[in-house]
Amino acid sequence: MLTEKELISKLQTLKDIKPRQDWVYLLKSEILNPKSETNPKFSKFEFLISSFFSQKSLAYSFATLLLIMVGVFGFAQYTMPGDLLFSVKKATEQSQAVLSGQTSLKQDMANLNNRINDLAQVTKEGRTANIPSAINEVRQSASKVAESLKAATTKDPQSTRELASEVQKIKQLQTLADLTGTPEIKSLNDALAVLVQNEITDLEKTTLTEVQQTILKDVKDLYDKEDYGEALEKILTINN
Amino acid sequence: MTDLNEQFGHIYDQYIEKIYRFVYLKVNSQEIAEDITSKVFLKGWESFRIQNSEFRIQNEGAFLYQIARNAVIDHYREKGRTKVVSTEVSTQLAQPGKDLQEKAIINADFAVVKSAIQGLKKDYQDIIIWHYVDDMPIAEIAKTLNKPAGTIRVMLHRGLKDLKKLIKES
Repeated sequence: MLTEKELISKLQTLKDIKPRQDWVYLLKSEILNPKSETNPKFSKFEFLISSFFSQKSLAYSFATLLLIMVGVFGFAQYTMPGDLLFSVKKATEQSQAVLSGQTSLKQDMANLNNRINDLAQVTKEGRTANIPSAINEVRQSASKVAESLKAATTKDPQSTRELASEVQKIKQLQTLADLTGTPEIKSLNDALAVLVQNEITDLEKTTLTEVQQTILKDVKDLYDKEDYGEALEKILTINN
Repeated sequence: MTDLNEQFGHIYDQYIEKIYRFVYLKVNSQEIAEDITSKVFLKGWESFRIQNSEFRIQNEGAFLYQIARNAVIDHYREKGRTKVVSTEVSTQLAQPGKDLQEKAIINADFAVVKSAIQGLKKDYQDIIIWHYVDDMPIAEIAKTLNKPAGTIRVMLHRGLKDLKKLIKES
């Protein structure tokens, strides 16, 4: 039979019950941290998660997972072709383009611009291991732009301006990385040739001032020299 | 940190373990105990902040225990929950330096005692936890429950008797 002393002694072993220290600190900061008061969005977000998952531990795990994902996506934005998380960066860019409702040509041109910037950066920083991948990415993006250019049914002056700018950038980069003669760049050039040819035909049917006629002559010379990027830029000065 | 934050921070440090333990002994799991204890301190903090000349908390401990008692009652009332004794004992007890066999005995003892406490009348539960686990003096229990000290002594005596009986039955 248990004596009263033994019973009290058993009761006193319950003093060993302690809450988790991380929970104690977290709760204290949640209650006393003024930031959580001025940030109702966070409280609501946390409340939603907590309500969705009946157990707090699951809610915290989910919140941690979200934070990790945000971290990965954030970190991926600073990666370059050839890096482990570069595909995440590309996927994010594509999602953003789709969500912003860009046309296929605009998306492809934006991608080409990004890849050209990547190539310029890895070259500038001397990251030799990334250069082959960066070149490959530029080639693939150029090929896509060429395809979209062929499929484009309407002419958009803004796209033409951007395209001229991209082509000029590629031209500048050729001094840094050997892009000449690759089938993709050739395909882009072919598509540009058609675009420039169409522009020349249109301009020939239009009444032009003397200055514009001089520029058109220069455009034709550049077309003959297969300098389509420069030709496009000149065309834009006529159209403006 | 403002003065109020600092003051409540001290109260929090002083009572967090006691309130958690008090709640944990009355509910079935660590998660529920954490959830209820969070609510107790949030409510405590809200009241603490709005104190003025008309409303003043005289005894912070008694005030928090009162919120905790009501929160546990609400918990069981909410969905008609039944009291089931948790088997998750080992994670709750800090037992540094004890071997496995010793820990197993302590855990078994703990489960029996916890189960027996939960079988007691609510008033007996509270005063037994306060007096024997949290070392609260009889005078303070009397003040908290607004009952004479003599009544508390009698209740403690009867509570222990019932507890002994419940442990024997288990």
